[in-house]
Amino acid sequence: MPIPQLKSRTFRRVQRRTPGGKTVQHYHLRKPKQPHCGGCGAILHGIPHERPVIMRNIPKTMKRPERPYGGVLCSKCMRVAIVFKARQG
Amino acid sequence: MTMFDVGRVCYKIAGRDAGKKGVIVEVLDVNYVVIDGATRRRKCNVKHLEPTDQVISVKHGSASEDIAKALGIPFTPKKAKQKKEQVKKAPKATVKKAATPAQKEKKA
Repeated sequence: MPIPQLKSRTFRRVQRRTPGGKTVQHYHLRKPKQPHCGGCGAILHGIPHERPVIMRNIPKTMKRPERPYGGVLCSKCMRVAIVFKARQG
Repeated sequence: MTMFDVGRVCYKIAGRDAGKKGVIVEVLDVNYVVIDGATRRRKCNVKHLEPTDQVISVKHGSASEDIAKALGIPFTPKKAKQKKEQVKKAPKATVKKAATPAQKEKKA
């Protein structure tokens, strides 16, 4: 029987074959879900989604696109925002 | 006659320099122009530009400094990259470990 904390759904169950041939259950921590655009809700590209300890060690430029609103808005929404600003003057 | 003629002030709406102002310096094609200003001098697709109603008198092959003045943007000349002098590191003095009797037996 697993220890009670492993029954939580924050862990995902993975079946693994041992060298002896038995199939055992392993408990893995879940990764965070993919980031979504703040405007339209589309999945953003170029952004890794890993556990905090990994994300802390990735350099900042490898975690978001190199453009305004990179990591916040998708490219389409970003263009709409920039055009709006440009037309204002 | 398109809006994208030499001298037209535009905003870039795509890429890492999106939101920056520039002037069309040269027209290459129906689709491509050369832009300069707050962005560096570069070829650009017309679809990535948002034209404004401002037209500046710009000569065909103006220097970046003149364009920056015309737009009213502070001009920062590009720093020439200085090659770092490669200092050769002296090789570390390593002490070779004498082979232990067990290792000697393995080799044999």
